Amino acid sequence: MPRTVLLVILWAAVAAVLVALPHALSFSQQEILVFMTINLLVVASYRLLTLTGEWSLGHVVIVGVGAYASALYTKELGIPVPVSMLLGACTSALIAMGLSYPLFRMKGFYFLIGSFAAGEIIRLLWKRFREPFGGPKGIKGIDPMPDFSIGIWDFDFFEPVSYYYFAGAVVALCLWLLWRIERSPVGLTFHAVHWQDKLAQSAGVNVRAYRTLAFVVASGFAGLAGALGAHYIGTINPNGFDVETMVFVLTWTIVGGTATFYGPLMGCIALTVLNEIVLREMGFEQMRPLIYGAVLILSILFLPKGLESLVQKLVKPRRVEP
Amino acid sequence: MNPFLEIDRLTMRFGGLTAVDGLSFTVEHGAIHGLIGPNGAGKTTTFNAISGFYRPSGGEVRLRGEVISGLSMHEVARRGVIRTFQHSTLFAEMTVLENALMGTHMAFRPNVFAAIVGWDREDRRGAYARAVEALEFFGLEGLRGERAGDLAHGHQRALGMAIAYAAHPDVVLLDEPFTGMNPEETTRMMELMRKLRDSGVTILIVEHDMHAIMGLCDRITCMSFGKLLAEGGPAEIRSHPDVIEAYLGGARHVS
Amino acid sequence: MFDLLAQTGLNALYAASYISLVAVGLVLIFGVMGVVNFAHGELFMAGAYVVVALYAGGGAPFLLAVAAGLGFVGLLGLLMEFALFRPLRDNPLGGLVASIGFLMILQATAVMGFGVRMEHIPPVTQEVIAFSEKVRLPMSRLYVIVAAVVLLGALWYFLKRTRFGWALRASAQDAEAAALQGISIGQTARIAMFIGAGLAGVAGALTAPLVSVNPHMGHSVIVTAFIVIIVGGVGSLEGAVVASVAYAFVHTLVTTFWDGVIADIVGLSLMLVVLIVKPTGLFGTADRA
Ligand SMILES: Nc1ncnc2c1ncn2[C@@H]1O[C@H](COP(=O)(O)OP(=O)(O)OP(=O)(O)O)[C@@H](O)[C@H]1O
Ligand SMILES: [Mg+2]
Repeated sequence: MPRTVLLVILWAAVAAVLVALPHALSFSQQEILVFMTINLLVVASYRLLTLTGEWSLGHVVIVGVGAYASALYTKELGIPVPVSMLLGACTSALIAMGLSYPLFRMKGFYFLIGSFAAGEIIRLLWKRFREPFGGPKGIKGIDPMPDFSIGIWDFDFFEPVSYYYFAGAVVALCLWLLWRIERSPVGLTFHAVHWQDKLAQSAGVNVRAYRTLAFVVASGFAGLAGALGAHYIGTINPNGFDVETMVFVLTWTIVGGTATFYGPLMGCIALTVLNEIVLREMGFEQMRPLIYGAVLILSILFLPKGLESLVQKLVKPRRVEP
Repeated sequence: MNPFLEIDRLTMRFGGLTAVDGLSFTVEHGAIHGLIGPNGAGKTTTFNAISGFYRPSGGEVRLRGEVISGLSMHEVARRGVIRTFQHSTLFAEMTVLENALMGTHMAFRPNVFAAIVGWDREDRRGAYARAVEALEFFGLEGLRGERAGDLAHGHQRALGMAIAYAAHPDVVLLDEPFTGMNPEETTRMMELMRKLRDSGVTILIVEHDMHAIMGLCDRITCMSFGKLLAEGGPAEIRSHPDVIEAYLGGARHVS
Repeated sequence: MFDLLAQTGLNALYAASYISLVAVGLVLIFGVMGVVNFAHGELFMAGAYVVVALYAGGGAPFLLAVAAGLGFVGLLGLLMEFALFRPLRDNPLGGLVASIGFLMILQATAVMGFGVRMEHIPPVTQEVIAFSEKVRLPMSRLYVIVAAVVLLGALWYFLKRTRFGWALRASAQDAEAAALQGISIGQTARIAMFIGAGLAGVAGALTAPLVSVNPHMGHSVIVTAFIVIIVGGVGSLEGAVVASVAYAFVHTLVTTFWDGVIADIVGLSLMLVVLIVKPTGLFGTADRA
């Protein structure tokens, strides 16, 4: 029992810090905090996809699918925002389901390039078709989350702090779901498909179905992240989901490491803090990409297993028992 | 009544090379059936064609009269045919227990929603029990927390079989299960295989250890250059002139 | 109509010549090093900036600036080999990530050195060959076409007729086997990186007066190069050239009759179809994935 008590106290402390955190930050830092929170969901969903061993370059576009879908549902169909976000997530999952048919005929490097091509085609369609996607300028004036109040607390979702609480709660729930999936027999099967797809097949695993499952579930969560972002910023455009953004996601994931659930989250937090806060405060505006690139190279050279490997050295991993 | 497992004029070509050439034989239900032949004879290729790893260039494989050749590997597995691999093919990064758990995949099919909500407790418990049973059967229960890639060679072979065993197969195809085992381990493993057979599992085994094959098999098929060379009981095969010839002179290369 | 087609053909020929220089370099690096060099577009960009600095800024002769572009970017390739790909030899994904880091560094350096605005470079020549009223080929484009043919011819000669070229092709097939034949892996890697990067640099240098030079110009170049090497077959140099020509014609044609974005979509769709139907590419046989 004392372990459980300890865990409860630990998590309560973490929650308290997370709740108090925005009040210690400046306004612009609060905004960054909101984006970072949403990005945590993006990298966590990306990791689910990589569990089966495939690396996609189309994930950010899938995030964009959720953003565009949710924005359009509110704008064109008048669907209320929280519902449209969920529908946006479903749209991403559905699109991923459709893409899985051509894409999972490929593996490895070919999948990487194929996912890039598929994503880029979707992005160019947004750019090309003014109706309904708004062309290169994208969609402006996306409905925000409606204000609401619980008792004494009023949430005005133009305020980064309010939106941080909202997005934080959603993201925390999603991370918990992703974690449950990973720790389940389904997650074990994902790992198995990654390490030895032949052996997995000979144990009766439908490898293609599991790859698709990981892709679709990951895309659903990615779409939700996109929708969360769209209704906060209020405007989206095709360039926001281009390959450069994808490179950031890839970098967070790799610098953090992909062997553990927390690796990509660590990567996202560490690099966001470095990029947005440390380098900005130090006044290296133009040099930021340079330092970022250098950090990327140094970490892959000297910390190839990611930041998570530092933690793993400290805490011996415990193995699953039911 | 249909024969249990029937390999019928099976042919497998790779470009110009015909690795299996019109091979036919049948495996009786509940038998331990050996498939032998010199290196490069096409034994592994035959296994690959039976288990759905390859789509045969010609011929058929039938299980209880149903054609299973051309199905994909997991579909063949779901019909009860489970294979092991010649080289220690394991989920090297996972623990021994997790490896065995993968063997229970078909009996306890995972489900995302159940897993999230927590409605799969029963299944998880069942899978765990089955996995532990498989490890115990092959004497691996003490190693369940080890990383599979760190195991000694003999243990790795045993774990490969434990995964197959956990899947409740009707037929297992074992490709050189005794390599990397010392004589005691081999003897123990032979005992386990007889036990496995007695529990109703049909075994098709490829093995170069003649001592083991002769001591274990009810029936043996010998192939060379992809073709059937001889078939019969151990005594017949041991004294069959073509078999002796193939092993002494006809082999393309000697191991 | 005929005029339009002829003009489109000339435009495509020009596009094909610099695309194939870039793509052949990318294939060479992938073949020998086994890494996908994401920074290849930025090597192209670096070549263009050498011309900006030496020819537009320093008043050096154009050809000298182009040669300097080849040499300088070739050296960047050697630097990448030494600092990134050699230490990461056993980690192809790591090599890819490192090349992304290098890409960011190159881009940021260009931004800091030259600013984000487009550079306007004085044209090398104003002359135009007019085949008819509407079919015209500017001399400066002809130079690019001629240079590409000469360089690719030289590369072909080098690969097929010299010992080093033979070594390079051998290690692209099978590095271990080539090493057993007494060919140093390190040496072939350095040659491949110098040539591969140099080709991207020279392509950027040659086209610099004809395009808008800016720090982000590499992006569309690398996308095009990927399409081309996939369609041509990842391991095949000849395939890369043929696919460059084919892609340039299709892209230019669609751009002329519809618009550039549709042309990009068509190009990407072509690549996707090839990936689905024949992942080894139209000319490739080796499966190195
Ligand atoms: N995927 C393949 N492509 C081309 N040739 C193959 C392939 N697989 C096997 N072969 C060839 O088919 C022949 C039979 O090989 P196979 O592995 O079935 O022999 P084997 O009887 O299992 O030999 P061993 O006892 O050494 O395991 C060999 O000549 C081999 O080179
Ligand atoms: Mg074999």
